[in-house]
Amino acid sequence: MNEAEDIADFSAPALVEGYAQVVALEGNTAWLVPEQTSSCGGCSAATACGSKGIGSIANRLEARRFQLVNDAGLRVGDRIVVGIRENALLRASLVAYAIPLATLLGAGVLAQWLFGSDLITLTAMVSGLVLGLWLARLRAGRLAETGDLAPRFLRRAGMGESCNIG
Amino acid sequence: MKEYVLLIISAALVNNVILARFLGLCSFMGVTTRIDTAVGMGMATTFVITVSSMADWAVGAYLLEPYNLWYLRTVTFIMVIAAAVQFTEMTVKKVSPALFQMLGIYLPLITTNCAVLGVAILLVEARMTFIEATLFGFASSIGYSLVMVMMAGLRERLSFADVPRLFAGAPNGFIVASLLALAFMGFSGMTS
Repeated sequence: MNEAEDIADFSAPALVEGYAQVVALEGNTAWLVPEQTSSCGGCSAATACGSKGIGSIANRLEARRFQLVNDAGLRVGDRIVVGIRENALLRASLVAYAIPLATLLGAGVLAQWLFGSDLITLTAMVSGLVLGLWLARLRAGRLAETGDLAPRFLRRAGMGESCNIG
Repeated sequence: MKEYVLLIISAALVNNVILARFLGLCSFMGVTTRIDTAVGMGMATTFVITVSSMADWAVGAYLLEPYNLWYLRTVTFIMVIAAAVQFTEMTVKKVSPALFQMLGIYLPLITTNCAVLGVAILLVEARMTFIEATLFGFASSIGYSLVMVMMAGLRERLSFADVPRLFAGAPNGFIVASLLALAFMGFSGMTS
C-alpha cells in the first residue's frame, strides 16, 4: 500500500452506515430489514415511549424492507453493514419535504396577497401541498432510477458490532 | 409584507423553539449526535409542524371557537398532530418507497415532540390569521432545524476533542447547549 492510500480522502462523499439483517433470498437478490437504531427502538425508554403506539417495531421494520444485489454470497440471517451517501440523505429529505413545503407556502402567500381571505388561503395551501407532493413523486422517481437512493453493501458486521451507541 | 418578515425572524431566531422557549429538548439532545440524522429530523419536523399548524388553526377556528370548546384544545391538538404525522408517513411511503426507507425512521419520533404541540398552542393563543399561523409554524420549525444542525455540527467536532472523561458525551452537550442559548439571547429585542 503506498503512502497516498494511507491518507484519508476527505473530499470523498461520506457514507452513512447502518446495520441490516438478511431475511430472505430470491435468486441474486437479498431482502434485508434494517436494525433499529439508537434513536428510537434502542432507547432505554422504548417500553414507555409513545412512539411505540404507532405500529409495533417489528411492523415498522417490515415496512422498511429493502433489497440488495447479492454479489457477496449473503445467507439468511447474516448481519451486514450497508451505506448510503450522506448527500443522498440530504437530497431525499429535500425532495420529500422541501418541494411540497415550497409549493404550499408559495400558493398560500399568493392567495393571501390576491384575495386576503383565510378560507381561500387555506384552500390554496392544500392545493399547493397536493401539487408539491405530485412534483416530489416525479423527482423521487427520477432519483430512484439513477440509483442514488439505494443502499449498498459495505461489509459483514462483526460479532458484537452494534448500532446502539447510546 | 413587513409584518410577515418580522414574524418569521421572531419565530425562527428571537423566540427560537429550542433555545428560547425550551421545547423539543429531548430530540435536541437525542438526535444531534450526527449531522445527517439532525438534517433528517429537522426536515421531517419542519414539514409536520407546518402541516399541523394549518390543521390546528382550522380546527381551532371552525370547531373549537364556534362551539366554545377551547378547554379541549390540548387533547384535540395532540390528535391532530398524530394524524398529521400519520398523513406524512403515508404520503412519503406513497410518494416513494425508497424515500420512506431512508426517512421513515424519524416520523414516529415527531408525534411525541413537545415542540409541535407547543407551536400549535402558541399560535391559537396569539389569535393569528391563517397565513400568520402557517408562517409562524414554518418559521418556528426552521429555527428548530437550524439549531439541531448547529448542535449536531458542534457535537461531531466535540467528539474528537480531548476532554476530561467526566465531561465527555452528554455533559459536554449540555454545556454547548447552554452556550448556544446564551448566543441566541443576542437576538432578543430585535422584534417582539
